[in-house]
Amino acid sequence: MKARHALVAVAGIAILGLALQGCSGGSTPAASGSSAAVDGKGKSIDVMVGANTLYPTQQKQWFQDVSDRFEKNTGATVKFETYASANDELTKIQTSVISGQGPDIYNLGTTFTPTANATGAFVTLTDADWNKIGGRDKFLPATLGISGPDKKHEVGIPFASRPFVMAYNTDLLKAAGIDKPATTWDELTAQSKKLTSGGSYGMALAYADSYDPWKFIWAMSVQAGNPILDGKKARVDDPTTLTAYETYFDWLTKDKVVDPQAIGWKNAQAVAAFAAGKAAYLPMTTSTSKISLDSSVVAGKYAYALMPTIPPGKKSLPKGGKAASSILSGDNMVIAKYSKNQDLAFALMKQFTSASAQLEYNKLFGDLPTNAAAAKKLENGNDQLIPIIDSSSKSVGTPFSGAWGDTQLALVNVVVQSIPSLSNGSISTSEIKSKLASAQSTVQASLDKAK
Amino acid sequence: MTTTTPASVTSAATQADGRPVGSTPTGGRPARRRGRSPNERNRPFWMLAPGGILMILVIVIPLILAIVISLLDLDQYTLRSWLQAPFIGLQNFVEAFTRSTLLRSIGISVSFAAIAAVVTLPIGVAAAIATQNKFVGRGLVRSIFLIPYVLPAFVVGTVWRTMLQPGGVVDDALASIGIHTGLWLNGPQSFWALILVQIWSSWPFFYLLVLAGLQAVDHEVHEAAAIDGALWWTKLRYVIFPYLRGPIALAVIISFLHNINGFTLPFVLFGVPAPQDVDVLPVLTYVTSFQSFRFGLSASMAVASLVLIAIPLFIYLKAVRLDTGEEGRKP
Amino acid sequence: MTEVLTSPIAPGRPSTRRNDDVTRLLPKPLLVIVIAVLLIVVLTPVLYILFASINSDVSVAQGAFFPAELHLDNYVKIWSTVDLGTGLFNSVVVCGAVALVCALLAVSSAYVLVRYSFRGRLTVLRALLGLQSIPGTLMLLPVFVLFSTAATTLGIQIIGTRGALFITYLTFALPFSTWVMVTYLRGLPRELEEAARIDGASSWRILTRIVIPLSWPGIVVSAIFAFLLGWNDVLFASVMTSPESRTAAIALQVFGATQEGGAIPLYGQMMAASLICAVPVVVLYLVFQRYLVGGLTAGGVK
Repeated sequence: MKARHALVAVAGIAILGLALQGCSGGSTPAASGSSAAVDGKGKSIDVMVGANTLYPTQQKQWFQDVSDRFEKNTGATVKFETYASANDELTKIQTSVISGQGPDIYNLGTTFTPTANATGAFVTLTDADWNKIGGRDKFLPATLGISGPDKKHEVGIPFASRPFVMAYNTDLLKAAGIDKPATTWDELTAQSKKLTSGGSYGMALAYADSYDPWKFIWAMSVQAGNPILDGKKARVDDPTTLTAYETYFDWLTKDKVVDPQAIGWKNAQAVAAFAAGKAAYLPMTTSTSKISLDSSVVAGKYAYALMPTIPPGKKSLPKGGKAASSILSGDNMVIAKYSKNQDLAFALMKQFTSASAQLEYNKLFGDLPTNAAAAKKLENGNDQLIPIIDSSSKSVGTPFSGAWGDTQLALVNVVVQSIPSLSNGSISTSEIKSKLASAQSTVQASLDKAK
Repeated sequence: MTTTTPASVTSAATQADGRPVGSTPTGGRPARRRGRSPNERNRPFWMLAPGGILMILVIVIPLILAIVISLLDLDQYTLRSWLQAPFIGLQNFVEAFTRSTLLRSIGISVSFAAIAAVVTLPIGVAAAIATQNKFVGRGLVRSIFLIPYVLPAFVVGTVWRTMLQPGGVVDDALASIGIHTGLWLNGPQSFWALILVQIWSSWPFFYLLVLAGLQAVDHEVHEAAAIDGALWWTKLRYVIFPYLRGPIALAVIISFLHNINGFTLPFVLFGVPAPQDVDVLPVLTYVTSFQSFRFGLSASMAVASLVLIAIPLFIYLKAVRLDTGEEGRKP
Repeated sequence: MTEVLTSPIAPGRPSTRRNDDVTRLLPKPLLVIVIAVLLIVVLTPVLYILFASINSDVSVAQGAFFPAELHLDNYVKIWSTVDLGTGLFNSVVVCGAVALVCALLAVSSAYVLVRYSFRGRLTVLRALLGLQSIPGTLMLLPVFVLFSTAATTLGIQIIGTRGALFITYLTFALPFSTWVMVTYLRGLPRELEEAARIDGASSWRILTRIVIPLSWPGIVVSAIFAFLLGWNDVLFASVMTSPESRTAAIALQVFGATQEGGAIPLYGQMMAASLICAVPVVVLYLVFQRYLVGGLTAGGVK
């Protein structure tokens, strides 16, 4: 009995401590609105970014350069922490939010911004805050599309743009007598049929990937006028979404323009197939695939193009449809409310998003700038980048809702659970419909919980 | 270096006792002959203190917190001031049982964990027995046996994932002997793929435990069996196995629990969302918690499954008498 | 079986006249088959990892077994791509300390639990197994909250230090290590200890002079398990480490990092790094495995 009393006492103390901390975590350090240079002598600021394994030494050098420059400007140094995967990052954000301690600044994939915003743990940017960064106007308008639910409540500071495009094998297209890449999904299907022969296929797709599939479904649906989350209503069971899934599945089962093995592929396997010259198109990729492709047999024999923007079954954009070439993709930076160095954080944001820093970042890592002046400069005289910059301006933000994470999962889950049927050769419309119905109820439930 | 001290204590002890200490217990089984009840005087409880305090601080208190969380509507919207999250009693549990795939996941996890544990058992025992005696290169073989257990689970997952992917090494190898299988990483076969990989990566666990258990077998027992002229399997069955009951009973239950709680392997092998045949418990709770942000719901799933798993665990403990330590007493 | 008692046993160290044939448990052909089969089963995937570590990433992603081209430079690159050296150092330090402390705490706890009777003993033993069944994903947030609370109330930084990992791994390894020692100690004869007790030896003295020397195989095995628990963990390490205290497993994970729609992961370097990371453990095992031989006989208790 004694032991149990002691245990309760210990637990009580712990919970009390937590309660105290919970209260103190709620208050935000007062942000001083001074416009003068921030003095951060002897301080240091923590920034969490994704590890870049493709350019590891460059990234380390960049960390050092950023810190040095920041020290010159403000006297404070910058400490970088890296995460390996989006899952790691989410876990880290959650532990930081619940405990009220962690990095001052997070670099987030754009689609995670709504989720981060929903926690309420990150600074909502006021006009004064934007001014400290150098003004909201300095960004490309499109890149601000997923910074917040509306203009007045933005948390995300656009840092890098990484729009989705498709890569195509110029040799294979030429050999098949195709002079320019497809601009509608129907055209893409038709061309892919032409391009499929021998051991080579029209497209390389990753049906077993945890992220890829939802982007196809979302793009085709949005183009047909269905944003998937329509205010407080989920529209996963919409006919446009059904068409999207059928198109996506038919490539494998009916049109047979995809390697049958793609049913088990993750994104990496699809990239590898394209890199080996075994596929003419690699849809849904970003400019970061360049590093893999340039060191493969297709080096110099491929180019990037805009993804189709006309939904399946249509010759032109239907009413209400958006010509989305890509999700609004890239990185946003968010500043933690618990940070005791918010002014320093803003100063660092200003440094990060200046035209010169953005151009330098592009040169190092290939991500496109979000700074309008920098983007303009880049556009001049760089042919290979044109479709990518074009896609950046034609990107459409995914719905800004705390339920988006669940929506993404549900959309991919439909594909995952369809794979056994697909591998047997076909999937019936009714089966897709029933899967969509259950996805619809999951998403709607999540949307109902959203605040 | 370990030989001198106990030996000297031994000789002193022998004299004091007036009885040769070396006499082995009847039947060659672990000592149970005398002193049925363990000592009841001068119990050095302080020796339990450091471990006990640590476990209370780092496991029990967080567990209590987790149980509290399971009663809260804790999600991304309430995470920041989580103590103010609405208290909703057992609603999370109700939702877990009625509107989630929890029960199916428990079913998958339990059958997967049990099958993998049971199949691993003979492999581990065989390996331990085979490497018991000295032979040239034994050290190397023993070390190689350890490798699957030493490789991080996500490396094992990645390697097997590429080996099992359509057109991968496994498919090619099977095709070359005329067997054509379907998908390994989705569909009904994925369940067996998970078991296969789990067995590959976890059998050294059994092996290590059994190997340690074998060392407790007195040399004289071996000699007696040799004098008896017992056949090898008779010796194994009637002389050696009684010694291994404890370690094996422990290994079975622990490996079962490890399998139940193994997250990284299924996560890397199949990704999320998981195919429904391998939607195991840890993946379900992880996704609910860290991707859907339903921390309260996820905690209730984990707590509920803890309780559900505790029941067979308890029955098992009774059956093998692992907790009371009388497994060696039965003939 | 009573022959054991009556059979003439030569006085002195039995090990001097030990004959390995006596302790052999399997007939030779069977022994060879078992070892050969197991080696093949273990080594095929390991060979796959080895080949992949010198292969190109594209080729690995396609599922090839034999390397298409030779990339030995993967073994050079891994040291600069991520800070593998620091990671290995941290892992060895943290896990080594965990193994040592855990084994000692486990043997002393198990000693009390096996050799003394008291109310609640069975409850403790059962609870230890119960603790073993708690999933890590459930504990992650609460443990983190606890540590960060302790940090704010006590004013010391815990999260991000090696100490935090040490405490976490130590505690999570303890229940199982204790159980390993419990089953091992149950197998040991009690006579020695009782004789020593009659002699007036204290519990501490009995533990350190008799129990521990006799329990090396159990201790080594429970230390190995404690070591590997920390070695393979990525869940707790991913949120509790800073760049300075990052473990090898976390450093390794970075190789598998992918960006949505991006380049192929660095499979080659990942495989090379995981083989490199396995080396310290295998070497440590080679060093310690001689303690895995008969604690009883090696102890000369005859």
